[in-house]
Amino acid sequence: MLIYILKRVFIFIPTLIAISLLTFVISINAPGDPVDLMLNKSVGGDGQASEKLATEKSYEELRHKLGFDKPLFYFSITNSTQPDTLYKIPQKTHRETLQRLSFTYGNWADISNYYHLIKKFENQLYNIKRNEETAVDLRKLKELTNTLYNNYDEFKINTIFNNLEFTLTQNKVLKYQLQGTFNALKNSVLRILENKNPFNKYKPYIHWYGTDNQYHHWISNFIKGDFGISYQDKRPVSSVLWDALKWTFILSSLSIIIAYFVAIPLGVLSAVKKGTKTEKSITTTLFVMYSLPNFWIATMLIIFFCGGDFFDWFPAFGLGTLPETAPFIERFFETAYHYILPLICVTYASFAFISRQMRGGMLNVIGQDYIRTARAKGVDEKNVVWKHAFRNSLLPIITLFASVFPAAISGSFIIEVIFSIPGMGKLTLEAIFARNYPIVFTVLMFTSILTLIGTLVSDIMYAAVDPRISFSNKK
Amino acid sequence: MPETENRNIEPEKINLAEMAKDQSYWASVKRQFNKNKLAVYSLRVIFVLVFIALFADFLANEKPIIASYKKNIYFPVFKEYAVNMGLSEWPTEMQNISSWRDLKFEWAVWPLVPYLPNNIDFINAQSVGPFDEQEVPSKFWRHWMGTDELGRDVFSGMIHGTRIAVMVGLISMGIASLIGIFLGALAGYFGDERLRLSIASILLNLVSLFFALYYGFGSRSYILADAIGVSFGLFLKELFISFMVIALIFAMGNLIAYALKNIPFLNQKIKIPVDIMISRLIEIMLSVPTLFLIISIAAISKPSVFTVMAIIGFTSWTGIARFIRAELLRIRSLEYIEAANALGFSEFRTMLKHAIPNALSPVLVAVAFGIAAAILIEATLSFIGVGVPAESITWGSLLSAARQSTSAWWLAIIPGFAIFITVTIYNLVGEGLTDALDPRQKK
Repeated sequence: MLIYILKRVFIFIPTLIAISLLTFVISINAPGDPVDLMLNKSVGGDGQASEKLATEKSYEELRHKLGFDKPLFYFSITNSTQPDTLYKIPQKTHRETLQRLSFTYGNWADISNYYHLIKKFENQLYNIKRNEETAVDLRKLKELTNTLYNNYDEFKINTIFNNLEFTLTQNKVLKYQLQGTFNALKNSVLRILENKNPFNKYKPYIHWYGTDNQYHHWISNFIKGDFGISYQDKRPVSSVLWDALKWTFILSSLSIIIAYFVAIPLGVLSAVKKGTKTEKSITTTLFVMYSLPNFWIATMLIIFFCGGDFFDWFPAFGLGTLPETAPFIERFFETAYHYILPLICVTYASFAFISRQMRGGMLNVIGQDYIRTARAKGVDEKNVVWKHAFRNSLLPIITLFASVFPAAISGSFIIEVIFSIPGMGKLTLEAIFARNYPIVFTVLMFTSILTLIGTLVSDIMYAAVDPRISFSNKK
Repeated sequence: MPETENRNIEPEKINLAEMAKDQSYWASVKRQFNKNKLAVYSLRVIFVLVFIALFADFLANEKPIIASYKKNIYFPVFKEYAVNMGLSEWPTEMQNISSWRDLKFEWAVWPLVPYLPNNIDFINAQSVGPFDEQEVPSKFWRHWMGTDELGRDVFSGMIHGTRIAVMVGLISMGIASLIGIFLGALAGYFGDERLRLSIASILLNLVSLFFALYYGFGSRSYILADAIGVSFGLFLKELFISFMVIALIFAMGNLIAYALKNIPFLNQKIKIPVDIMISRLIEIMLSVPTLFLIISIAAISKPSVFTVMAIIGFTSWTGIARFIRAELLRIRSLEYIEAANALGFSEFRTMLKHAIPNALSPVLVAVAFGIAAAILIEATLSFIGVGVPAESITWGSLLSAARQSTSAWWLAIIPGFAIFITVTIYNLVGEGLTDALDPRQKK
């Protein structure tokens, strides 16, 4: 048995690595720049050179702190047009533009030269003193230069250059100071077009970075228990998750307990009374409940029972507005009152599901020979059902435990969203929308680990309940 | 003498043939299925839904189906199809029409619902209910299921939403079946022992895999990404080219491997544990919280109904794969497979032509339940506003509109009921199929 468990735990490792890779791939492909998100402002805009330098500096410091200045993975497979040090360029949008350019034109040296000249030109712009004569045109030039970073289309770049040139010719002061760099910049574009080598993109190029990469750092921190910092409120992920877990845990555990307590007797009843009218109505109701989408029921409950044009019996969302200082009993009742509708929505579906499973298991057992034998030798019906049949029909219910574990953590997320309960589901959905990937990562990993453990636990319990199942002499 | 004998036997022969026909596998499945009245009615409702989905443009449209305008007869709905396909152009007097109902037709045959889901009726905006007073020219223009906050017709949204629901079910399960049947069959048929490949072909297939991914997707990634921004058709075309490139590379790799097999060392055969590899993959897929995964992928990709379908398809193949794996584990030890092998057919041919067709019936069950689940997932996604573009109207997005205007009960009841019914009938068909395919139920 122990060997079996160890074997299973050992198999977890490749599964978890695969899941971590999957989440990692999702997060690096997400649009938006996490550093920008955390800084709440982007580099550039209209300002003085010192301001620009300050923002750029804080950007790079934060980038270093979050570990985004490292290569993504242990190795990279790109086309030979891209340098293996591309990750050193801070801004994500700049990297994307450069990748596109080098993909289309295939001559990295020229493209790199072009990029550095844009930077030089921009720096010169920021170093020019603003006065009445230059202010308007200077701002225009800064904006135009900034768009150069995001454009890789030949036609669009040409348009920007025409606009730049037009603005320059209008303002003699600026033209005098900037003409030299501008001409160099323009020539660098021409050189890219001249030295075009589109076949370079068909040469694969593998580069090995070693362990100093983002994925390695993230996964080793995760194993150590450090889940990173939430981008939005800059708190550690573990504390954010802990707060949310509390509410979800209350909701899910209550619903599981209620569901099991009601569902098991109901399932047994409908199996024992098979063929009667009671059974038929129970089965039909359960089937209908099982198919009712819970977000529909939640919406209907809100519309009909929470104000609107109908009854105003329950609060529509939140957990109440009582302050932390209010007496515990009051807060308890306030919260319980807010929990009624969400609890109904979370419970009914799992309740219907468990009853149906219970009924199926019971029906299977009741048709067996040993039940007939028990009846034949005169055991009374109550004992037949509860002592002989019930125990053996618990098997399918035990497997359900596997799905209970992850359900407890990820919660019935849509219900939390609808009733705005600050649990795991709502947290995760908001994190996905806000591209707050440390949280999404951690939730996905934890839910997966719990599912794996849940499956293992249910397998072990299976063996404990049914002596016919044994893992030790398994082939 | 022989002639008379033949005559005597003939009537019996016909009977036997008829009986055999009656007792063929699918005939008996059909008979069993027909006994379950609920499942049969559900199947009929599915046909109705498919009909609505196919003819949504003729059931709810702002344009008339046939109309006579300035002494000419037009078929505006058909014309629109032709224009969209680039086969035809609108006549000058029908270009840029803001409101078709204000055109002075001599006569016109209108669709059942004379609105498109996106048409905004400014007079009846702010959620007018089905029983409220509506400011419409006549009963025909009434909003029978009310309007939403912006004044869009709910009935029309329901009809066009049917199309999306039906498509989501079919396309996502189509993708899932392809992946599931392929992987499940490999795992079940070859197990851990039966697939033996030479070192040469393993090596060259691995090398081909690298180059295939590189040239098929890696160096074409921008082309594919740009194509999906332009149109779905272009994306399919580019995807097809990618697959052709991949097929070509694998063909070349295997040709070289064939040549290299002459070297004795490279011709050594190695067992490949297909079953372990695929079972592990299924386990990984099962332990990922699918809904979270789908939402996170949908949140980073460009909003499109087709992306949602693809994501659902790529994440929900495990059920089908497990069914077919179990079935093929049984079938592969049957005598007729041995016979096929003894005849010298290749393993792949035996698997594709003889084993898989006999294992497909449990897949039907998984597909029926899978469609129900896919429709529910899509409705959930559009309810929370992920993945489906804001301007496309689905049952889920109609339902979510009820959250903004809490007095509009029709926005909550009608689309929710449609989702519920659709999910239920697919589940009922699935249950009916389970019973019909269960040999214990046969009488």
